[in-house]
Amino acid sequence: MPVTIDYSKLRILADSDTRQWWEAARQRKYLVRRCNRCGHKWFPPNIPACSRCASLDVEWFETAGKGVIHSYVVVVQPIVGAFIGAVPYVVAVIELDDCREEDGTVTRVAGVLTNDEAEVAIGLPCAVVFEETNDPKIVMPRWQITGPAETTWKFNE
Amino acid sequence: MGALTDKYCIVGVGETQQMRPSNRTTLSMACEAISNAMADAGLKPSDIDGMTSYQVADSTSSAHVATALGMRLNYCLDIFGGGSSTEALVAHAVGLIEAGYAKTIVCFRSMNGRSGRRMGGQIPGGPIPAAMAADDNQFNMGWGWTTPAQRFGMSAMRYLRDTGCTTKAFAEIAVAHRYHATLNPKAIYRSPITIEDHQRSRWVVKPFRLLDCCTETDVSAAIIVTSRERAYDLRHPPVFIMGGYARTMTESPQWNYSRPVIHYVAGNYGWKRAFGMAGISHRDVDFVSCYDAFTFTTLIQLEANGFCGHGEAGEFVKGGRLQIDHELPSNLSGGHLSEGYTHGVQMVIENVRQLRHRADDACPGWREGKHTYDRAKGCRQVKKARICCGMAWGWENMASCLILRGMAA
Repeated sequence: MPVTIDYSKLRILADSDTRQWWEAARQRKYLVRRCNRCGHKWFPPNIPACSRCASLDVEWFETAGKGVIHSYVVVVQPIVGAFIGAVPYVVAVIELDDCREEDGTVTRVAGVLTNDEAEVAIGLPCAVVFEETNDPKIVMPRWQITGPAETTWKFNE
Repeated sequence: MGALTDKYCIVGVGETQQMRPSNRTTLSMACEAISNAMADAGLKPSDIDGMTSYQVADSTSSAHVATALGMRLNYCLDIFGGGSSTEALVAHAVGLIEAGYAKTIVCFRSMNGRSGRRMGGQIPGGPIPAAMAADDNQFNMGWGWTTPAQRFGMSAMRYLRDTGCTTKAFAEIAVAHRYHATLNPKAIYRSPITIEDHQRSRWVVKPFRLLDCCTETDVSAAIIVTSRERAYDLRHPPVFIMGGYARTMTESPQWNYSRPVIHYVAGNYGWKRAFGMAGISHRDVDFVSCYDAFTFTTLIQLEANGFCGHGEAGEFVKGGRLQIDHELPSNLSGGHLSEGYTHGVQMVIENVRQLRHRADDACPGWREGKHTYDRAKGCRQVKKARICCGMAWGWENMASCLILRGMAA
């Protein structure tokens, strides 16, 4: 069953560090930050300097929006009003395929899956999808499982 | 040993009742908790010349309390902080007194954590009609991922996957801390629970059930720190500050989830400093406290602080090991899971009472340190209470520790 989120109960207040990220999402692009000096990439985008070399000279990197589920939770009791009708929904941390760096550094992002609890497992591949909201300025990235994987792990309680 | 080991002491502890709701202001509760701590120490307001507190924009200030209680302070500071702040403010007090900025410092927390602002953004009267997602919240509220249960659950889920641990280990912690609450007349939840009760309780956010989650209460609690020389003149045997670490962080403290192992938490970076400063080993520790916002946070802190290896805590806690009269009693007041929620202060308070041999239990002579050690009659005092290790948690990414000893150690 698709997860329904009532975006009328949510206001995203973009700021000078994040406005371009939300603007890119509106254009169906998933960005992470990248350092112009050393190439390090990171999320979330409201962190404005490079944690590897402390450079403030940072740009955006457009990812392919594909990754692997690193962990997840299933929210059964909602807190934020927008999600009251969406429970149970799955929030996942996703390791991006094109943000693995030579020294082993990875970039992981988070978001709500379009899939429900029965389908989710750690290790499954997924891809970003973009969902329109009632706020024309905000398009919300969600994540969709794209196929099976050889090694997965699932919480079965 | 650290340069300041045993030079400073905790001499007074006090709190209000755990309330739901208090129908009181945080200022009123703070005045009561601090008055109780002063009475406990045998101090009067004019003896206190330093005050510190922590809050998350939900509480009163040192200036208000000092005005109300008629104190003229040489030092005051109110910091923004949550779990792990109590131990950090005690460390701070030690440094301030050593440097001469103040002589006797009270540290407090006061919060309407149930009837006022609740963790995760909820306000009284139910969920927020239109949530405002600014700053960090742009990148978690938008995906319904704001509460500590939802955030820590992410690390807990990966932990279960990586270690093979099951939620039965979480249950061991819920059961142990609840058992201690049955011996604590102040505790909110005093009915014993079983592993099965835990496993049958409703889901909040998988992998956490209701009995994995702490209480929410309205409460204030306070701790008084002074020098060893002054401590000897006060009402109780002093409790000596041996060592610790204070709000120690992992790398990337604001975004845990890109770190190589998301359940490798901040305590890992601190415990050698704490034990080195205290000049003790884990074998010297008679009991512990763990910041039990969740059962999982207790589990992971035992690993992070070296009481067992990484991934071994599930085995370590089996068979009631954390219960009183067993190997490593944890959270003897019942902790956040069962006594009430003070954002960390109550663990230090209980550790002080235990080290004085004055746990405020059902024993008629507890005020004189006379205990029966008969659990069936409600005695909560640990028999061998000489050294304790208090472990505090902010997020995965921030932790504190406070190693204390009583006179007998």
